[in-house]
Amino acid sequence: MGLLTILKKMKQKEREMRLLMLGLDNAGKTTILKKFNGEDVSTISPTLGFNIKTLEHRGFKLNIWDVGGQKSLRSYWRNYFESTDGLVWVVDSADRLRLEDCRQELSALLLEERLAGATLLVFANKQDLPGALSKEAIREALALDEIKSHHWCIIGCSAVTGENLLSGVDWLLDDIAARIFTTD
Amino acid sequence: MYVQERSVHSCAENIIEMADTDEEDFAISSYSSADTAFDSVVGCIEDIILDDEFQQLQQSFMDKHYQEFDDSDENKLSYTPIFREYVDQLEKYLEQQLMERIPGFNMDNFIELLMQRKEEVTGDIFDMLLTFTDFMAFKEMFVDYRATKEGRGVDLGEGLLVKSLIPGDSKNNSCTK
Repeated sequence: MGLLTILKKMKQKEREMRLLMLGLDNAGKTTILKKFNGEDVSTISPTLGFNIKTLEHRGFKLNIWDVGGQKSLRSYWRNYFESTDGLVWVVDSADRLRLEDCRQELSALLLEERLAGATLLVFANKQDLPGALSKEAIREALALDEIKSHHWCIIGCSAVTGENLLSGVDWLLDDIAARIFTTD
Repeated sequence: MYVQERSVHSCAENIIEMADTDEEDFAISSYSSADTAFDSVVGCIEDIILDDEFQQLQQSFMDKHYQEFDDSDENKLSYTPIFREYVDQLEKYLEQQLMERIPGFNMDNFIELLMQRKEEVTGDIFDMLLTFTDFMAFKEMFVDYRATKEGRGVDLGEGLLVKSLIPGDSKNNSCTK
């Protein structure tokens, strides 16, 4: 690792966190990001690249990276693993047909060495839709209880209404902060 | 040169004398001589970055890639490898220049000093180094560069517009008569 990379890592530790938001396409990642940022969420098109937003929350600077989730883009996810403090896995709770695909992609991610230290927040999104599965059903479908390698939490939310988005991020912040800023 | 060497030497003597009297003083004094070495490397980095050659390096990198960059909120996946190449190239250039300018320079040792001095790593030069690793700053630089590159055509158009106002002006003049 070179000088610049090391400098960056040193500075990042100062109340700054990097969150990586992934999930299948149409899960609502970009909507969540824009809702957080107070932007209009009525017209969001599929992400073909990636979005970055930097937000201030509770005195922390959050760098949130949202990468497109289409199948052809998933092999690029690995380019964004480096220095991730928190992984936000977004699930379309109404997309029952692709839950198995969703489980496989998540379990593959959890094996990644560069994500080994990251806290996992699962957003069971689209709770506002009538056909949405509960967060308990998603927890079971994704076999979250089998995860021993990462701290994790699942929260039911709606990106469109904004419901529970903040409580999810608050949990994530607390968990990361307890890990990073107390061990120094 | 000779004078400098002497002063360094006498500085070292002072440290030893202090060590005899007080252990704590010794720790502080030896720290400050390491500080001098550290500061001189930082000064050298500053020189390298302000050098024309460095600006040229950045310029030619931007010339190679600027057409890939758009001024849209969403980023293309292709920006990421370009960004990585950029940081990599700057890091290599910095290290190579430091080795040329400081005999016996060792990057690993310097990085170690840097880590020990976390709290002191502040100021313009470090802010500047950090912007090299900031993706958003990187993207903005390219978007601005592209706008400047392609903006020249727009300037010409404006020039033509100004000319076309002249008849209007003369009309105005005839009105006031």
